[in-house]
Amino acid sequence: MSSRVTNARCVFLFALVTGTAFAQLPRTVDGKPNLQGIWQVESRAAYDLQDHSARDGMPAAKSVVEGGEIPYKPEALAKKLENYKNRKTADPLGKCFFPGVPRIMYMEYPFQIFQTPEHVAITFEWSQVHRLIYTNGKPAIHEGYETWMGSSRGHWEGDTLVVSVVDHNAKTWFDMAGDFHSDALKVTERYTLVDKDTIRYDVTIEDPKTFTKSWKMSMPLVRQKQIDHLMEYQCQAEAEESVGLFERDPRTWYPETEKPPAVTATMPPSGPLPALKVAANIKRTADGKPDLTGYFSPGGGGANYGLEKHARDFLTPATRGVVIDPADGTLPYLPWARAERINRELPYRGYDDPTAHCFVAGVPRGVYTPSPLQILQPPGYVVILFERMAWRIIPLDGRRHLPESIRLWQGDSVGHWDGDTLVVDTTNLNGKTWLNEVGDVLTYAAHIVETFTPVDEKRVVYRATVTDPIAYTKPWTIEIPLNRDSEELLEVACHEDNGDLQHLKDVRDEYRAKQKKEKAQ
Amino acid sequence: MIKSILRKAHIGIVLGVASWMTGALCAHHSFTAEFDQNKPIKLEGKVTEMEWSNPHSWIHMDVETNGKVVNWALETGAANSLIRRGWKKGDLPAGTILKVEGWQARNGSPTANVNSITFQDGRRLFAGSSNGEAKEK
Repeated sequence: MSSRVTNARCVFLFALVTGTAFAQLPRTVDGKPNLQGIWQVESRAAYDLQDHSARDGMPAAKSVVEGGEIPYKPEALAKKLENYKNRKTADPLGKCFFPGVPRIMYMEYPFQIFQTPEHVAITFEWSQVHRLIYTNGKPAIHEGYETWMGSSRGHWEGDTLVVSVVDHNAKTWFDMAGDFHSDALKVTERYTLVDKDTIRYDVTIEDPKTFTKSWKMSMPLVRQKQIDHLMEYQCQAEAEESVGLFERDPRTWYPETEKPPAVTATMPPSGPLPALKVAANIKRTADGKPDLTGYFSPGGGGANYGLEKHARDFLTPATRGVVIDPADGTLPYLPWARAERINRELPYRGYDDPTAHCFVAGVPRGVYTPSPLQILQPPGYVVILFERMAWRIIPLDGRRHLPESIRLWQGDSVGHWDGDTLVVDTTNLNGKTWLNEVGDVLTYAAHIVETFTPVDEKRVVYRATVTDPIAYTKPWTIEIPLNRDSEELLEVACHEDNGDLQHLKDVRDEYRAKQKKEKAQ
Repeated sequence: MIKSILRKAHIGIVLGVASWMTGALCAHHSFTAEFDQNKPIKLEGKVTEMEWSNPHSWIHMDVETNGKVVNWALETGAANSLIRRGWKKGDLPAGTILKVEGWQARNGSPTANVNSITFQDGRRLFAGSSNGEAKEK
């Protein structure tokens, strides 16, 4: 073959690559394929990774495994078959436990990918699970610490994002058919953008305790163009509500079937708040905005145990509270809401706090729950990932809020920059959350405006002004410092290991039984 | 070795200060809703398992009372907090004998939130070199 022909072929191939794939692939400013967007798998892998006939709730489908079959060791195959037999009760996902990786990637729920120079973050509609994939080339700070979702580090090989996922526990399955692994699992994911709307998702599974050799699967992830807003499906909360284990409070929850009457109360504006000064040396992004990216611990000031000032009691030291408006630190409760707040402190009400069930803390509670959070600033968004598995996606593109009848645990947030302060406006709350363990009240009518001001390199001052005319006479504001740290997020699997809820339910049930008995007498 | 002891000592100080409100500090639920401050308990027994979990870790301990052995579940801090303070799984092996003080669950089950954990000779667990020795037991 003459060199001219070879060259011509090379030129042709180069033209093909540049002319089709390369030129058309969306890219980030640093030249990487831009994976940002809302995606969902196009595969029946979630039911059964291998060839299967139709079964109850499971359409028939071809295998996504290279070569068709998973190379189980004989004893592992026996375990798989047992899992399969017991799948309706034994599947950890049936209990709303975290699905693990790779299973979360091919469940039939959309997810959103965000990219910064040092991270790829994935937020999932399913139960507000998230993955934070570090692409900064550094090893994990807490290597060897087992989690449900594993520990992910990524790097780019050409145009493919390669993610190594280790430190899995042995409690998750690969699919509804009982395919499983041990704690020796190592997952290598390869994300390749094959056109602007398709990612080829290739996975290599290594687990010498379970399989005779490593094996691969592959499936497409497809851009969900019809979805501009990732919403939620809180698996455990929906399950408990549906069987009466988590009960509706008609005073605070958004009505189930009809629109509520418009709230007509007019409230005075919130009081003037002390000005915050931003230090000259704060880090900024390429577009000149403050760079809030990082890991933060809230200086909660005991907010999770009461927003107002309180005297020292059995467990908590005296604090001045976190309320900065009204100036006296007292929340401007309407009488019914104050009475409810006092009632919620009674032991039998502890069960009613959604976080005791490990449900999402909501806004603003997620920020001052004594647990860290990670802020990311990908193009067009600010994203907050909470260690107590939940996320908030805050678009900065000036979009409107969701229709009124869509209500979410974390509400619907939109953001904008006011000078060096990030302002986040949240509505569409479902009214199911409490503001803390003592039950400070928030209803579905709340409109919350939060500000994030980076006052210096180490500290972001967080404020939230809550306007909730169903529960309060006027708006009020809390202030909490968020302290920057060099740590990395771990995972809080709360519902999975919730040893407390039954105890709380026992106390509640005993109270109710006593009430019933007294009433009968 | 010295570094390790210092690390543990630092952990001990942190946990020592925090221990009087272990339940409240790391909780995802109200302390008073689950535990009864009027039911303080003092127990001595043998660790059967340290369960590293979130939002609370649990120490399971066999306690013998009048010839009958009861396995108690003792609620402590979040595994993530312990890991960040340098602890590792296996740092509290089964068989370790402990004395604990805390408050029993309102439902009367052998469950408690603990605020003080010590070895038989009075040294505090999670305090200074005590833990280092615990590892060697």
